[in-house]
Amino acid sequence: MYELFEHTADLGLRATAPDLDTLFVDIATCLFTAIVEDVMAVRPVQDVRIEIEGADTEYLLVDWLQRLLYHCEADHLIFSRFDVQVTDTGLIGTAWGEPFDPARHALSHEVKAITYHELKVKRTADGWLAEVIVDI
Amino acid sequence: MKGAFTGPLEKVDSCCYRIPKSYRPDMRVDGLIFANETLLESIRKDQAPEQVANVATLPGIQSASFAMPDIHWGYGFCIGGVCATDPAEGGVISPGGVGYDINCGVRLIKTNLFLSDVKHRMRELVKGLFYTIPAGAGKSGAYRYDTTETRRLMGEGPRFVINRGLGVARDLEHTEALGRIDDADPDAVSDHAVKRGSEQCGTLGSGNHFLEVQVVDSVFDADVAAAFGLELNQVCVMIHSGSRGLGYQVCDDALTSFRSAPAKYGITLPDRQLACAPADSPEGRKYIAAMRAAANYGFCNRQLLMHQTREVFAEVFGRSWEDLGMDLLYDVAHNIAKLEEHTVEGRKKKVWVHRKGATRAFPAGHPEVPEAFRAVGQPVIIPGDMGRASWVLVGASGSMERTFGSTCHGAGRALSRTAAKLKASGRKIEKELEARGVIAMSSSRMGLSEEQPAAYKNVDHVVDVVHEANLSRKVARMRPIGVIKG
Repeated sequence: MYELFEHTADLGLRATAPDLDTLFVDIATCLFTAIVEDVMAVRPVQDVRIEIEGADTEYLLVDWLQRLLYHCEADHLIFSRFDVQVTDTGLIGTAWGEPFDPARHALSHEVKAITYHELKVKRTADGWLAEVIVDI
Repeated sequence: MKGAFTGPLEKVDSCCYRIPKSYRPDMRVDGLIFANETLLESIRKDQAPEQVANVATLPGIQSASFAMPDIHWGYGFCIGGVCATDPAEGGVISPGGVGYDINCGVRLIKTNLFLSDVKHRMRELVKGLFYTIPAGAGKSGAYRYDTTETRRLMGEGPRFVINRGLGVARDLEHTEALGRIDDADPDAVSDHAVKRGSEQCGTLGSGNHFLEVQVVDSVFDADVAAAFGLELNQVCVMIHSGSRGLGYQVCDDALTSFRSAPAKYGITLPDRQLACAPADSPEGRKYIAAMRAAANYGFCNRQLLMHQTREVFAEVFGRSWEDLGMDLLYDVAHNIAKLEEHTVEGRKKKVWVHRKGATRAFPAGHPEVPEAFRAVGQPVIIPGDMGRASWVLVGASGSMERTFGSTCHGAGRALSRTAAKLKASGRKIEKELEARGVIAMSSSRMGLSEEQPAAYKNVDHVVDVVHEANLSRKVARMRPIGVIKG
């Protein structure tokens, strides 16, 4: 489950999930709903593998989203499907998507950066919650 | 961010309010917010004043933590924030005090055209600009530089592109720091940042960035306006953009490397986003070298945007840009940290002046003001919103006495993007602007809604305060007639 929420000049991403792996998948999907108008129209035909080291789950979340944003901007890729395994020492993830095609995709926001402001990754009664604000 | 600021705001004078050091035990200096009573009411509505207090806790901070009248909430530092730190007193450098968009800034290009020359050509002109200048998300530029070239460009600044025929040497004299911040180290910039920047130089970007065709609407100081080459009804072009993905990545990389700095250097931070390190530490020095390189990229980006603008004007009007008098008035950075000499408590010191959404405003006689303007002061370019106005000001002596040579940078947001979109629903912003005499084109449906005039405070009120406080003085008010947005 994920949603965008309002924030002064920018946008917030929020995800809730039963486990940490799904949480990281959902927050990534949420990021791309902010970037692309119809994330479901993005075909998962090309993959990028991402490995990140780090024990702090909040920083790991920022790093994961930052890496996706990097591939989006530097390689012109947009993603719609993700697989993540979060461990005690980091994460291994794969993102599937395709090159941006202006004929089929409409971009809505240029996300400049993933911020640390009110960054949250925490346990809830039914699983996990993540919140992160993106600078646009 | 949540809720209104309920702390003390003591009146210093008609345009300045103080958050006293006694407000919080961790504050090292007072907070000073430049505002009048009307603006203060909206300033209290969010936690931006608390952020002014947060900045007052930074090691090595001098005099006070300042905010300009366009203050609004930002990451770590508020937007409109100014702070100076002394490296000799353990003063810190903070990427949050510069912002994600390093050397976001504005330049104003003059023309010898008047409103009557362009008013029947506006649609053609705006279309020409819109289809030539890449704007919005996902757009690559017409200029591609490989890794080696991008690093050289960051070392040399706009001279690099001017040497390739994309401008003239006198453009440099009319750019802050002559378009090249010394001691930039392109090798301190990560490969990821270079890759993000290699196709983006000469692109506008999105968000609040814009290119506007404007006319001089009113002249407030005829002598200074004459020195700047501005007169009533003259057509100008204002460009607002920064260092694109390259700068954002440099900021990100620094925030990652600063994660362990508070523990390592014994700094207690009230907000994680205020991450900082002593300016004289390995982490601090690396960020400074990379930030300067990204700033040089920002000057280059605006130079290439200007070059493309000149080409479009030449094509539309069938005359060379030189013949159209399209000289650069000035280019200012409003997201930057610079090592500058200032007098603090009677002593001259080199301090790190952080300007985040604040503009350098050096007065007449300052050696860094270009010779052409030294008798009157540095031009200060203040972008407003796309329906009302922007301003040209001139640096004044009060800035050196009160704010480490700084003034405001714009209007400041009044509505969130979501609130602006809601307010725009069912309306045609483009048509509304047209009724006001503004032809606007945007690459995204959301661009115009989120950036509509009502999303911003009235820039005239912001400018009134800095004028009265003598940080910078009014020269000319500019009215938009053509807008391109990301």
